Amino acid sequence: MLKHPMLKYLKESGPHGTRLPLIMCPGCGVGQVLNYTLHAVDSIIKEGGANKEDFVFISGVGCSSRLTSHYLNFDSGWTIHGRALAIATGVLLANPDLNIVVFTGDGDAAAIGGNHFIHAFRRNINVTVICMNNGLYGMTGGQVAPTTLSQAVTSTTPYGNIEDAFDLCRLAQSSGASYVARWTTAHPHKTIKAIKKAICKKGAAFIEILSQCPVHKKQTPVDMIRALKAMTVPIKNAEGSSKIPVGEFCDTPRPEWTQKYEAIIEKCAGRKS
Amino acid sequence: MRKIFISTDYCKGCLICVESCPKKVLKISSSISAKGYTLPQVSDTEKCNGCGICEIVCPDFAIAVEKEDKAV
Repeated sequence: MLKHPMLKYLKESGPHGTRLPLIMCPGCGVGQVLNYTLHAVDSIIKEGGANKEDFVFISGVGCSSRLTSHYLNFDSGWTIHGRALAIATGVLLANPDLNIVVFTGDGDAAAIGGNHFIHAFRRNINVTVICMNNGLYGMTGGQVAPTTLSQAVTSTTPYGNIEDAFDLCRLAQSSGASYVARWTTAHPHKTIKAIKKAICKKGAAFIEILSQCPVHKKQTPVDMIRALKAMTVPIKNAEGSSKIPVGEFCDTPRPEWTQKYEAIIEKCAGRKS
Repeated sequence: MRKIFISTDYCKGCLICVESCPKKVLKISSSISAKGYTLPQVSDTEKCNGCGICEIVCPDFAIAVEKEDKAV
């Protein structure tokens, strides 16, 4: 029987038996994002841009962060809540040639890890941050998050959210990220292309992927995918529209942090001798 | 004719593949799987052009399409 082409990058079984199917609820966008990321990584490996050993996947805590060490057949780390970017910085310092991909959710990135989030982009460290934004805290029961849209109903805002949502792309862009893009799980090819571009770039890249949580939103996955398509507009047509803009927010190369750090080391080593 | 394989162990019946298929090759099955999910079912393999969008959108890595058209 023919198997899914990306299963070669996943651990189907481990010491305690089979690991697949994924732990995610039926129709969860997190599995789709993993699929898109593996397609992008597969395309980079096939084109000879990097080897499988050059990739490291780091994640924090949350639904989206369950993806790394349990399933991925890559070097990976399932680390502490909100601090995935801090640990990714350490991994990068140990070996600046690695391609580091950080899987994070909206709660992990914007709420508990908000400070690490902005400072990673300010430093412009060479990581690719893939943020799955479903607009609520999925793992703990669908509570309101900083990324919940205004008026959205969650388990702790049954009459609608009175707060405005964080725009993570604008936040990353103003913090100093080199590459920022937003897509949704309903735009598979565009998302794969953006992830591939982000991994190949030097510097901090941020990709926000709007994703569905069919369990807490109490809708079918297909309805949510259709809604994601309907609620977004390409960024070039976003002027005056109330919809969420999707596309590339910025692509401005800046000097990368580890390169500048290595330059300092070289300068000081030269002074010593 | 291409062969399309759906893993009954991995599929959770989200039916995103049925929605995404541009040629409407897949349809919703009338039976329920051993795990209690309504799985997708291949209705017409003749129409499949092997674009592989079902493989890309699948959250559970459950579907696979033969890339080579063996009949031609």
